[in-house]
Amino acid sequence: MKKNNLNLKSFAILFIISTWFSFAQEISISGVVNDETGLPVPGVNVIKKGTKIGTVTDFDGAFAINTEVGSTLSFSYVGYVTQDVVVKNSSSLNITLAQDLAQLDEVVVVGYGTQKRSVVTGAISGVKQSELEDLPITRVEQTLQGRVSGVTIAANAGQPGASSTVRVRGITTLNNNEPLWVVDGVIVDAGGIGFLNQSDIESVEVLKDAASQAIYGSRAATGVILITTKKGKLGKLSVNYNGYTGVSSPARKLDLLNATEYATLLNEKSVNGGGSILFSDPSSYGEGTDWQSVIFNNSAKRTTQEFSLSGGNDVSKFFASFGYTDQEGIVMSDISKYTRKNIRLNSTHNITDKLRFGQTVGYSNEKNIGIGNTNSEFGGPLSSAINLDPLTPIVETNATRAGQAPYTNNGIWRDANGNPYGISALVAQEMSNPLAYQKTLSGNYGWADNFVGNAYVEIEPIEGLKFRSTLAGKLAYWGYESYTPVSYLNAASIVTQNNISRGTNKGFDWNIENTVSYTKSLKNHNFSVLLGQGVYVDNISSGETVTYFDIPVDNYQDASFNFSVPTDQIDASAYTGVEHRVTSLFSRLNYDYKEKYLLTAIARRDGSTRFGGNNKYGIFPSVSVGWVPSKESFWETNEMINQLKIRGGYGASGNDSSPDYVYLATIGDGRDYTIGTSGSVTIGNSPDAPSNPDLKWEETSQLNIGFDARLFKNFSVAFDWYKKETTGILQPVPIPGYVGAVGLPTGNVGDMENTGIDLELGFNKNFNEVNVSLNGNVSFLENTVTSLGNGIDFISGGATIQSSTYPITRTQVGQPVNSFYGYKTNGIFQNQAEINGYVNSAGTVIQPNAQPGDFKWQDLNDDGTIDSDDRDFLGSSIPKITFGFTFNADYKNFDLLVFFQGASGNKIFQGLKRLDVENANYQTAALGRWVGEGTSNSYPRLTTNDTNNNFSNPSDFYLEDGDYLRFKTIQIGYSLPADVLSKLGIDKLRIYLTSENLLTFTKYSGYDPEIGGGIFGIDRGYYPQAITNQLGINLQF
Amino acid sequence: MSLAIGLPIILLSVSCSDEFIEVSTIGTALEDNYYRNESEAYSGLVAVYDVIGKQSKGFENMIVLLNSGSDDHYAGGGSSSDGSQLQVFSNYTISESTVAESYWDDFYQGVFRANTLLTKLPDVDMPDATKARFTAETKVLRAIYYFELVRLFGNIPLITAPLSTGDYYSVTQADPNDVYAQIETDLIEAIPDLPVTLDLANEAGRLTKGAVKALLGKVYLYRGKNTEAAAQLAEVNGTPGSTSTYGYKLLDNFSDLWVVGNNYHSESIIEIAHTDKSNADWGFWGSGADEGNSLNVMVGPRGYVRTTGSTAPDYAAGWGYNIITQSLYDALSGDPRFDSTIENLQAYVDSGEVGLEQSYQYTGYYLKKFMPLNSDVSTGGGASELNYKQHTYMIRLADTYLMEAEALGGTGSRAQALLDAVRARVGLPSVTVSIDAILNERRLELAGEGFRWYDLVRTGRAATVLANRGFVAGKNEILPIPLAEMENTLLVQNPNY
Repeated sequence: MKKNNLNLKSFAILFIISTWFSFAQEISISGVVNDETGLPVPGVNVIKKGTKIGTVTDFDGAFAINTEVGSTLSFSYVGYVTQDVVVKNSSSLNITLAQDLAQLDEVVVVGYGTQKRSVVTGAISGVKQSELEDLPITRVEQTLQGRVSGVTIAANAGQPGASSTVRVRGITTLNNNEPLWVVDGVIVDAGGIGFLNQSDIESVEVLKDAASQAIYGSRAATGVILITTKKGKLGKLSVNYNGYTGVSSPARKLDLLNATEYATLLNEKSVNGGGSILFSDPSSYGEGTDWQSVIFNNSAKRTTQEFSLSGGNDVSKFFASFGYTDQEGIVMSDISKYTRKNIRLNSTHNITDKLRFGQTVGYSNEKNIGIGNTNSEFGGPLSSAINLDPLTPIVETNATRAGQAPYTNNGIWRDANGNPYGISALVAQEMSNPLAYQKTLSGNYGWADNFVGNAYVEIEPIEGLKFRSTLAGKLAYWGYESYTPVSYLNAASIVTQNNISRGTNKGFDWNIENTVSYTKSLKNHNFSVLLGQGVYVDNISSGETVTYFDIPVDNYQDASFNFSVPTDQIDASAYTGVEHRVTSLFSRLNYDYKEKYLLTAIARRDGSTRFGGNNKYGIFPSVSVGWVPSKESFWETNEMINQLKIRGGYGASGNDSSPDYVYLATIGDGRDYTIGTSGSVTIGNSPDAPSNPDLKWEETSQLNIGFDARLFKNFSVAFDWYKKETTGILQPVPIPGYVGAVGLPTGNVGDMENTGIDLELGFNKNFNEVNVSLNGNVSFLENTVTSLGNGIDFISGGATIQSSTYPITRTQVGQPVNSFYGYKTNGIFQNQAEINGYVNSAGTVIQPNAQPGDFKWQDLNDDGTIDSDDRDFLGSSIPKITFGFTFNADYKNFDLLVFFQGASGNKIFQGLKRLDVENANYQTAALGRWVGEGTSNSYPRLTTNDTNNNFSNPSDFYLEDGDYLRFKTIQIGYSLPADVLSKLGIDKLRIYLTSENLLTFTKYSGYDPEIGGGIFGIDRGYYPQAITNQLGINLQF
Repeated sequence: MSLAIGLPIILLSVSCSDEFIEVSTIGTALEDNYYRNESEAYSGLVAVYDVIGKQSKGFENMIVLLNSGSDDHYAGGGSSSDGSQLQVFSNYTISESTVAESYWDDFYQGVFRANTLLTKLPDVDMPDATKARFTAETKVLRAIYYFELVRLFGNIPLITAPLSTGDYYSVTQADPNDVYAQIETDLIEAIPDLPVTLDLANEAGRLTKGAVKALLGKVYLYRGKNTEAAAQLAEVNGTPGSTSTYGYKLLDNFSDLWVVGNNYHSESIIEIAHTDKSNADWGFWGSGADEGNSLNVMVGPRGYVRTTGSTAPDYAAGWGYNIITQSLYDALSGDPRFDSTIENLQAYVDSGEVGLEQSYQYTGYYLKKFMPLNSDVSTGGGASELNYKQHTYMIRLADTYLMEAEALGGTGSRAQALLDAVRARVGLPSVTVSIDAILNERRLELAGEGFRWYDLVRTGRAATVLANRGFVAGKNEILPIPLAEMENTLLVQNPNY
């Protein structure tokens, strides 16, 4: 591209040079700019100091400029220390730029613009592509986990393509806590963010405090995540290929009872409950079936290929990419798969020097094959493997038994030899032989096509004044295809007629934003003003499902909608979404004096369709200030604190995530009865949930105080303390059943507070030829509910477990949201004397009906009996501390990355065993149960007649510490020497080995301590994350 | 540079008008604009009727629950913890946290819909006679729901108009006498405005004068107002064995009562309708849009398969609830009604003609009145096991015969004639009438239909008969108030819970 570099700028330079010719000795200088490792640095600004004359290095780091001897050339590039060189009488000049480890001059995306890191006053953390390069990350949420402070992330499942739960600075509200995702200015719903290809991302920024969020006003309270995709860079055409492939395997298996142990314990349980011996000779069963070996795949395949092109000149720049990822899950890989194809084209164009045009567009196609439940006690392969008895064979090979019920039923599944898959006579309900279950889901999949893009025009009529108009949109199509065969999995899971079903949905969101900004520097006063207006429309959606019953086929390959069935065997439904619209006006003022005194003020007004009357509009202001004492004249240069910036801000943001129409009293249908003799249904109508005409915006205000510092040259620190208060939380108000409403009204009830500390630390140093960097972050968080509205002390049952006597969580004033709630155990009664002696202060025997081996429940209200009033808070599922550390080192052509992250201070409810499945298998912890005086003080006796509710009461028995430390990524790379490659015309060839989730340290007894979901930390049979080892190659030319 | 001028114009033209953020309600009516005419009032009335389906709709239906707690059935199901809300009623460990809330909530939803419609009807533009009929039906339905609530829970709030938001938490429980008084008032006020007969094709399933008199008689009987009860029931029953003024007559064949599709016959007084046309599916099972009979699949045998050449009936497999006790089996042995009431599947298992999975508390005896055959399985849309269409009876003539005989004190020639008529229909000889004889007849005639538990409680026999189940006198005559109703409200828990 060097030869094509005849552009306006060159002409300008020539022109200027020619006019200056007479004043000094002109010299033509050329050279190469390299970094410390000897690699060329493209895009370096080469400016003749004190002028605007300059050029940019090309892709090979080369530059050429005419200047005069004795002038100073300034070489600058983001991330490197600017170097000034006095021109001597030599035409060749090679420069080595040192990396600026402080990176304090990097540019931060702040929403509707960028800001220099050095003048940012809000709490904004980010991740750059350079930190993510070549990492095997399928979904964008994972780029933030452990790399950004103040963000808690937990995967929702280890299933490929599964989303993660993302919480910015704790739980902000009782409704939707998903942050606002903005991709190149397009608001993308959290569920739809999976369309993005990780390697297309240039940067991810998280706006954490209200002072930064306020620019997104109404939708920002739960945090804003800004994603910028790659744009083309000036210089030669760059071609990049990255590919990796590997295998995944489960990190751990549970220790479950084998057949002999199982039969022994069930005998004991039956006898204890007054029943008979169930299995006369337990040892005859041996080891029995290991159902976990049936579901887990130790060599699930994973492949990703990415290809990108980037380049441009002074007029146009572009970035184009294609990506493909194919991943198998470790659980029942045939029905656990994810594939995604991505295409992206981003470009920017300088139509004239005052008029710019740019666009981004990304398309993705996703195909998802899922095992069904990924964290549910209601079946699915995981729950089945945990709960199924080890006596049932995987395949029933005994011809006599295989010829009897239940194997004589229609729809029995068989292996290749025609033998039926074993059906448990002991454990049924939703649990079934995973191999048979798998057959019922064969051929089913979900799909999604997403188009997300924007286009803008920007005019800069005079320098510093910019008008910009952006049109952005997201068009999504998604749906599923399924065939449900005639099937007999067990007595409770029978399908007697097949069906084929299809669902299709279309959703369209768009927005227009118009901004005018003006940036001006007067002496040392730097101003920037932004005024904007926006219109946002989402959920322009519709969808249909249709199901044909009893089609004339017996397998999914032959299933088709092209078969005709009578109309009464067709089930169909359709819907039209309710549009959600927001209109906004916003403004921002940035001011600084000498980059020493800093000010940002933001105001935004939003109007939403979700509120009525006078409450449609909400105003969200914020202000933040900063001071850089290290730039003051009194600040003495010292070795300890090299740079210091103190920041503080306060502001408000909002939330309108309530259901539509809830401020209106509406009438709903589907309250039907069958009247007349035809059998047709007569539709009935009645009022819906009570309305709330006073519904208004939920508001979150936040105070943030922090500082950024550079210490001892090599250390960087960013510290933030915050206090976030949410008031008027929009949520369903629990009302008594005697009101008779079909649903709950929505109200602005409830206040919540989050306080915390975010800390980010960095260390960079070169030790001879070894470059080392360490980056860590730690976040401390405390969540407290401060009000739930008039007359309501608590909200029960955010989460329940099947057949638990009580809900397992409660939200109460003064406690963290959705805290675990239940009984406290006080050991186990060892004998009758202990039962008789377990009395309250009045001497009443508290548990007179207990038997030795039962839990002693704490009689918290000292009333001499155990009832619902003796429950208490047992801990929170929200981690108090989350942290992540990245270690990078390179030596010559080798590089190493170790990344680990974790969480601490949270509890997990270990609900793996299904309570209401009497004969479900146990974990080996049950071998330590109470079997007589002195045998156990923590695991109660087993009995079929559990009148003490030892197992059905939610209690601290089920709660375990959720602390973990996980080596998330370890990567070793080798780059071929540049001199070898340059002969082949290759810029870079790197080969690398990556290991994901190689080690996890935790005391938790389930598969995986990282459990996402609306309420964290409830393990019902969670699809664990896999250990994956991969080999990758990255090629650039 | 025209664009530089153009941009601000775009900016202004897309101004944020208030109209832009007003949404019109698509597919949803506003309450203020609804109940304008007869058809909208009718749809409001249908919504009140909807709840009556709870008798045999959804997992938590009335018949399965009431059977589970009686001496005629065990809860059954897959295991001791399968359907725990039924198990805890069957073994009397029921508590505020294990009682199924829907038995409370659903009936209060019915009450609310009735209260709403009663406030709207006066302003609806429709013929007065029709309006009077709608009003009467609404009141009767409200009475039915309160009758269920007061019998199940005893101490309940009495709400006769929609509550305003400010009153949600200040409601207290009413004296059960006041609840019964309201029930009686609603029923008495309704009778004059109801028709005697229906245009079955379009109206079958709606309430009639005779139905309400039968109901009023039943309410009086539960209140111990035996004279009033006998008077109302006598009108319904007429001369025992022949057709009454309201057109009621016992069917000749007892077994015809259980023939699927034999609906709205002369013995049926209040009939609960079900259909296979609602395409019921798991997602809305038991909710307003589900019109299937769930009792059928619940009482079907688990994992039922016939061997080749089997002579056993072709039952559809089910979930094995409401297993029949040895006690009821013995009581019905030799009775002509046995063959319609009980299926002894163990006999087929013993002869190798049938394979099945034993239910919890398995006896081998199943509730044949509601056991579905494979020919009854829906072939339409939805989950086939949720779309059975057998109707059930809330009140049928044999029941009102026996209730009148009981109201008459179990003595006298009319009581004798009523009892004899019920026995004669199945070919049984007369036995001397007495309260014991009547209650025994009720047990045999109405077995499995959800009446037994209330009969035991009404006559004060529950504590004795159900002692071995764990029934505690002074406690288990009513259910505990569900925990969720106690939270943040002024309600007081029932005694001894």
